[in-house]
Amino acid sequence: MTHLEISGELTIFTAAELRQQLLEALGAGLDVEVDLSRVGEIDSAGLQLMLAAKQEAAGRKRALHFTGHSAAVCDALELCKLFGQLGDPVLVHSPS
Amino acid sequence: MNLDDALHTFIIEAGELLEEMEAALLRIEQTPDDADTINAIFRAAHTIKGSAGLFGFDHVVSFTHVAESVLDKVRNGLIPISSELVALFLGVGDHLARLIAGAADKAEPDEDVQQAGDELAARLGVYLDPPSPAGGQIGGQVGGQMTVTAEPQAQLDKEGGNGVDAHGVDSDNWHLSLRFGPDVLRNGMDPMSFIRYLGTFGKIVEIVTLADKVPALSELDPEASYLGFEIAFRTEADKATIEGAFEFVRDDALVRILPPHSLISEYQRLIGELPQEELRLGEILVRCGTLTPNELNAALDRQADHPDGPAPPLGEVLVDQKVVQPRVVEAALDKQKQVKESKSAESGLIRVNADNLDEHINLIGELIIASAGASLIAQQTENPVLLEAVARLSRLVEEVRDSALKLRMVQIGATFKRFQRVVRDVSAELGKDIRLEISGGETDLDKTVVEKIGDPLTHLVRNSMDHGIEAAEVRLARGKPAHGTVRLNAFHDSGSIVIEVVDDGGGLPRERILAKAIERGLIKPEQHLSDQEIYQLIFMAGFSTVEQVSNLSGRGVGMDVVRRNITALRGTVDIDSVEGVGTTMRIRLPLTLAIIDGFLVGVNAASFVVPLDMVVECLELSAQQTADSHGRDHLNLRGEVLPFIRLKQLFDVPEPPTPVEVEADDAQGGGDPLPRYGLSTAILTAEGAAALGSDPELAFLLHPVQRENVVVVQYAGRRAGLVVDALMGEFQTVIRPLGEVFNGLDGISGFTILGTGNVALILDVPGLVRRVVRQPNRHGSSSPATVSS
Amino acid sequence: MAKTIMIVDDSASLRQVVSISLKGAGYDVVEACDGKDALRKLDGRKLHLIISDVNMPNMDGISFVKAAKQLAAYKFTPVIMLTTEAGDAMKQQGQAAGAKAWVVKPFQPAQMLNAVSKLVLP
Repeated sequence: MTHLEISGELTIFTAAELRQQLLEALGAGLDVEVDLSRVGEIDSAGLQLMLAAKQEAAGRKRALHFTGHSAAVCDALELCKLFGQLGDPVLVHSPS
Repeated sequence: MNLDDALHTFIIEAGELLEEMEAALLRIEQTPDDADTINAIFRAAHTIKGSAGLFGFDHVVSFTHVAESVLDKVRNGLIPISSELVALFLGVGDHLARLIAGAADKAEPDEDVQQAGDELAARLGVYLDPPSPAGGQIGGQVGGQMTVTAEPQAQLDKEGGNGVDAHGVDSDNWHLSLRFGPDVLRNGMDPMSFIRYLGTFGKIVEIVTLADKVPALSELDPEASYLGFEIAFRTEADKATIEGAFEFVRDDALVRILPPHSLISEYQRLIGELPQEELRLGEILVRCGTLTPNELNAALDRQADHPDGPAPPLGEVLVDQKVVQPRVVEAALDKQKQVKESKSAESGLIRVNADNLDEHINLIGELIIASAGASLIAQQTENPVLLEAVARLSRLVEEVRDSALKLRMVQIGATFKRFQRVVRDVSAELGKDIRLEISGGETDLDKTVVEKIGDPLTHLVRNSMDHGIEAAEVRLARGKPAHGTVRLNAFHDSGSIVIEVVDDGGGLPRERILAKAIERGLIKPEQHLSDQEIYQLIFMAGFSTVEQVSNLSGRGVGMDVVRRNITALRGTVDIDSVEGVGTTMRIRLPLTLAIIDGFLVGVNAASFVVPLDMVVECLELSAQQTADSHGRDHLNLRGEVLPFIRLKQLFDVPEPPTPVEVEADDAQGGGDPLPRYGLSTAILTAEGAAALGSDPELAFLLHPVQRENVVVVQYAGRRAGLVVDALMGEFQTVIRPLGEVFNGLDGISGFTILGTGNVALILDVPGLVRRVVRQPNRHGSSSPATVSS
Repeated sequence: MAKTIMIVDDSASLRQVVSISLKGAGYDVVEACDGKDALRKLDGRKLHLIISDVNMPNMDGISFVKAAKQLAAYKFTPVIMLTTEAGDAMKQQGQAAGAKAWVVKPFQPAQMLNAVSKLVLP
């Protein structure tokens, strides 16, 4: 299992770099776990990146899990109703 | 910071912009093709309109709007610059100043102003063809075209025919279908932000995020946008509001908005426009609760019946809509780079409230006083380490003082520039062709001085234009250019600022001034006066040499006021003149008004400060002289009559019981450690004092003064003596204004605090001299004071 | 964490009013008086939105946006340009420089706030 932690922004500003990191993580040939607990900001580019990573992993017959969804991530996934599509168990944050 | 502060900023800013606009207008006549100047005028109007709109000053906005429209045409070369146009816009600037002044008082413009505005607007309107609507544009967004299907229901009914079409679908929700173009994210727009914004005025009942287009990570362009959304939305807002949510992506996104209860045909069309998603979209619409399964089937059936050509793929639309010729854009940007950095210094400036600055200077004044107090105490201790520390402190305090005073300094250029307008207007009034030249505009001087010098300067400039510059034919006959020149110049000269008003006119007529002064009884025929003294005569009240009185300079009233104003600023004015060649009026002012060099004198237990630059000399008033004056208040100063005034009597200073007791009091109370000696011990070292004491010739200096002293002061060429007990030497004086209660107190212009913490009053020398010089006449015993050089 | 917005305009009063209303809505605000000043203040701090006038001394809004978009930290920062009705040609240049959102001057504070909310909520 390869672990990866994303902290700070998961946005258009960081998307290119994070894409590279995710590809490298998947390139190790193991399942990947991505910790989102320290993501402070996420936008549509971030959501796309998560969706694309899932697809990429599926294509490589590997599992990729997002864990520890931060409040910002949960908020965005809730807004776009994407929890189901991504399929990771999420600890629901109580509204702050 | 609140809105009132912002309003205050607006008033100041608008004033500055109007000044800049005026300066640019006056420049533009000489250089009509200068794009920067035209742009400066445009920007002034533009900025005022923008800010006025923020404050809801609609009348300012609507008036400025018309002016701006005309200026825009000027900027685009559609309207040529003419002197009528310049004159019109000068009027526009004046009117705007009035409107803004009114707005500052939160008053509606009165009828006169309104009428003036209407007239100006009408004159501006002539330049606008077709006329542009005045105002009514406040906050209006540009109505752009949006890819939104919103045809009226009636039109859609015509397409109907199927039974399902006769009535709309059941849902109460709006249906939004959003497809964001690939560049949206790159352009800084986050599709999610628009969806969040929808939540501010309605409820997102259901949302389906379309992620089909998102490729696998290895194929993903991480900065391109792939998402689409189908949204069931409930809101009380109207369609325009919903459309408005997407106004910033209208070129980059496909937005479909279907109102509640839209006809099936509308949905059919929606599905038809996105054929590749046909089946899925239908399901989504059902999932959103927008369509029932029956409604969907009806729609799909009709779609099959009418296989209209599919709408072009989104990408193509975007390419079509974004046709921009790159070369044109680059050329335009290059041109903008060349915009001159006219205000390059400004971005490094901070706007500070003048009150805060005054407060700061006042505190520095306190600091100077406190520091002087500390030095005094340190000197008494004779502790060398402490003395050294205090000396270093004093030096620093002086530096702080100098730098603080510099903060109050502003350049005189802005004041000078205002004269462009004065000269232009006055030339027109006089029918003379006169140009203004400006130099030394970067010279700094105290803000308070700048504010007060405007009026006297205006008078001098008008005087030069009216009396100095000759008529064109006279000028030509004298071999001068037909147009006259008035020059404003400023420079620093040893702690003073010198402002010159120079004209190339006829010069002052020496003989005529002399004759007039004799005729008016201002001088006696036998008096021999230097040129300077003769020129100074024009500053005397009621003097005028020009028979033909013009309404500009009045009847010579004013030149005396000019001098009085300048003297009030502790300045002087002198004149150089060559007949037939021109005149230079030279104003010399102290750089700052806050701190002066004072001369400290004592009267009984009280201390007074005389501004040092008005002190001519000090002398001892002997008992003999007092007797010679026969009870009248004059003394014979080297053959001249010197009127004097006893401060003791004037201010009714109480007599101390005996000198001995005074000293005892001082010792106990520490009230005034400066004993009343001929010289202040503060300026003597211990050895110095010892040396003086051992020298019988000088010993008197250390003894309490029994005699009186006279400080001879001079103001406006007149001298007077002030009789005091003790002379205590030079003293750096921080001027404090008297409070309201003491304002107008005769003979006192302010106060200061001594190092000891005691108060010393600053004498109003001009006031005292006037009083002293008047007095002898009351006694009928003396001729008016002579004019001295 | 409050979102930060930069307002660039040569009118101090406009900046003040916009700043007051944005702060009132819960945003942090950075002010700049022209393009040059604004560029100097693009020192790596996170900005969620830039609001910029077009017609300014020293450096106009379009040149500023173009320059800002060259900086990695602001490459994708949304920009609202302030313009007059007569600014169509300007708009095209702005679009090319990367400014897609426009608000017409004069506007009232509520209108500005509304426009801002479309791009960034506090």
